[in-house]
Amino acid sequence: MAPPTGKRVKGVQIFRPFVYGTTAKPFDEKTNPKPPGVPEDHTHSWTVFVKGIDDVDITYWLRRVQFKLHESIPNHVRMIEGEKGKPFLLHETGWGEFEIAIKLYYVPESAEKPQTLYHHLRLHPYGRTDEEKEAMRLNGGQVISWAYEEQLFNEPYEPFYEVLTSGALSSSSSSLSHNRTGSKSGGGGKGKDKDHGKQPVRSEGGVLEKSAMIPLTNRPGLPFSRETEQVEIKKLQEALVKVEELMNKTKDEVARKEKRLKELKAEAAKA
Amino acid sequence: MASSDVRDVLNLPSDHSAGPRPSKKRKTTAPRPNLKGLAREVQNLGGDNPIAIVPEVSFFKKRRFASRKPAARWELRSFINSARADNGALVLRHWKCKTEHGAPPPEHMQDGESRPAEDPVDGGQKGDTLEDSSFAKFNVKVSVPQYNDDQYQSNLQSSEWTKEETDYLLELAQEYDLRWPIIWDRYEFAPTPPPQEDGANGTSTAVVPAPKPRTMEDLKARYYEVAAKMMAVQKPAQYMTRPEFELYEMMQNFNPEQERKRKEFALNTMARSKDEAREEESLLLEIKRILARTERFNEERRELYRRLDYPATDSDINSFKSSAGLQALLQNLMSTDKSKKRKSILGPGDGVSPGGAVPNSAVSESGPHNRRESIAAAPSSSRRDSDVRGARGSAEPIPTTATSSSAAAAAAAAANKKKGGASTSTSASASAAPAPQERRKLSAHEEQVYGVSYHERLGSGPTFRYERINKLYSHKSGQQQMRMTNALAELDVPPRLVMPTAAVTAQFEVLWAAVTALVDLRKLSDKLEGEIKLEEAKRAERERARGVLGSHDGGDDNENGAGADADAEGGPDQADGIKEEPEAEKDKTDGTRPGSSGGGAHKRSASVLSSTSDKSAKRQKK
Repeated sequence: MAPPTGKRVKGVQIFRPFVYGTTAKPFDEKTNPKPPGVPEDHTHSWTVFVKGIDDVDITYWLRRVQFKLHESIPNHVRMIEGEKGKPFLLHETGWGEFEIAIKLYYVPESAEKPQTLYHHLRLHPYGRTDEEKEAMRLNGGQVISWAYEEQLFNEPYEPFYEVLTSGALSSSSSSLSHNRTGSKSGGGGKGKDKDHGKQPVRSEGGVLEKSAMIPLTNRPGLPFSRETEQVEIKKLQEALVKVEELMNKTKDEVARKEKRLKELKAEAAKA
Repeated sequence: MASSDVRDVLNLPSDHSAGPRPSKKRKTTAPRPNLKGLAREVQNLGGDNPIAIVPEVSFFKKRRFASRKPAARWELRSFINSARADNGALVLRHWKCKTEHGAPPPEHMQDGESRPAEDPVDGGQKGDTLEDSSFAKFNVKVSVPQYNDDQYQSNLQSSEWTKEETDYLLELAQEYDLRWPIIWDRYEFAPTPPPQEDGANGTSTAVVPAPKPRTMEDLKARYYEVAAKMMAVQKPAQYMTRPEFELYEMMQNFNPEQERKRKEFALNTMARSKDEAREEESLLLEIKRILARTERFNEERRELYRRLDYPATDSDINSFKSSAGLQALLQNLMSTDKSKKRKSILGPGDGVSPGGAVPNSAVSESGPHNRRESIAAAPSSSRRDSDVRGARGSAEPIPTTATSSSAAAAAAAAANKKKGGASTSTSASASAAPAPQERRKLSAHEEQVYGVSYHERLGSGPTFRYERINKLYSHKSGQQQMRMTNALAELDVPPRLVMPTAAVTAQFEVLWAAVTALVDLRKLSDKLEGEIKLEEAKRAERERARGVLGSHDGGDDNENGAGADADAEGGPDQADGIKEEPEAEKDKTDGTRPGSSGGGAHKRSASVLSSTSDKSAKRQKK
């Protein structure tokens, strides 16, 4: 790990959204034939991944990812190095579900220690209700278990702060970052800024490269967006209202019971 | 003409060139291209060099009827203009070149010629085949922002504008395609009086608010405000594409006051007479001259002050009595002189007042090294710098005091020494100090885009957003965790948040707190329930004991019952110690108060049996 360069930027938190999870598919003669060399008892092919939301590049903050699979799988610790613009992917086959430890290694500029996430590999349709399971079964046998997560960088080091707060908006980054070349971090940062100097391209309501934005609307294959967020917030608010109702009900009940208990106790004292 | 020809004419013998001549001739003529349309003689005139004449090839018009096609057919076709508001009622006709496809078959061509005589009804018969005017596409309508009542209530409220007036403005903007002078000209908003007053007494118009006079800037400001806000409502700023964002920013930054001033200036400029214009020009020139003069004057004055400045002599001069001291003083003065010169170039921005000039030069007097150092270190690090100096010992004067110039010699000597020691600290402070200053300020927009937020207290290092929620769980004991999970499942909250963004996690934390309270309350309720059960069992035990004791105790017992059933009406009248009595009473209360819940009923029930059955019923309900 590189020694810390510069100081931490106090009181600042920067986040980056990303998606991780697994996609599994059973072997099938027609749609997903078993490739040669796969053991007899393997029933599914699956992929575990870590990627940017809306498939944007995240290698500017995430250098490599270690996937720790079940011990029974040969060579069960896999290191995937970041390739610019590509997600961190690992394809495997197997028959059982288990927990995958996903260890994220950050870029050297960050000078941060790696962090671990855990994800349960899903091969079979799951869900709390039967409908959910059924919906999953209909999805071409594909079992999707994706999770949205936000990486928080609390008080990043100055060079990393610079990396995280430039590049998305072309106008602001170029002139200022060149001024900074005098400091120690200048060399690395400058080179990076250069190839991001060009006008960022993005779709309608999409996200900018190197930004912390979340797409405005859902698209096929991209279930995480502001839309989903709003739906979830609404759901939680409704739940809160429900809790308040229950709370009042329970409060009444408790008050009644207390009264009753007092009466009983008084009675007992008399007797 | 070649020399050989001359010889030939003069009959001179061709002494040496008899052989090569004919061959040469053949050579020159052979490759020459035979230009057409040029006489051979003329061509020969050129001799060895071919004449550089490009023959003009003249093309004549082809014969007119060489490829005779039937003349293009034109027909009088009727058309409509979809840009008209009359929905195609007006049908006009125009001549159009007949095209192959879509045109009626050629045998109809004959009556096509007679078509002009027909009336447009024929065109109407064709109905949908009527073509649209090619100019219809130029009828573009501006799109004015749309909003509904809710959006207006939440975003567009204004003390200056009512909703009706805003509607009216947008209507006008739509109608006149955002041509502001016209909109302003036609703007005649009459606020409608409140309807109930209208109905009550139509004559009273005293309360009708007078229409406010609106300037064009007012109108524009309101329109841009509405447009910008609606734009932001439809799409948050950070998702806008660049041109969209530019438009948004422009509309947001519209400053009516500035616009008004600009127009005023323009008006004034255009309204002035020739003399005034000339005067203005001359005034401008004058100002320029005055400014230049003051600058020069200031420069001179500064220079003068610098020269007037002299080293103070109120400190002891013992250090200069030795020859070495004198030498040092001389050197110091020389270097000071140099630095002065440099300074006069460097700092035109220095203070011109004497108060400003003196301490400045006094500091520079105290030694060039110090000065250089203080330049090297950023101003913000001066505290640090002086700390370092203070630590270096009291032998050397603190250079920040202006009166220390007399000790400059010693300082200079010491400064040379200390340079080496200080260099590390200065370089360190120089590298550390500029960083916080240089960190650029992010605009609000950038902060949003890059996901930057500021917090009071932060544990440094990377974490995940979801970790907060994990912590909520892990801070509870195993049993509590179970209870919370069950409670959340009851509320149909998924076990893992779909999108743990900042807003969602915040919302979840609120919910979490509420659910925690609920779970605690339920626990309390369960505890009370247990205690009630215990007390009731005790009472049942007592009553049984009493029943065994005999009926003479009955009155006593009844009193007790009355105390318990304080709100049960007519309780004390039935003075019997029989067990069935409370049962019957309970039935009565149930009958008279059907609205009371099971809990209330069970409270009044005296017998253990009925109360337990009630309780079990309640539990089922739960």
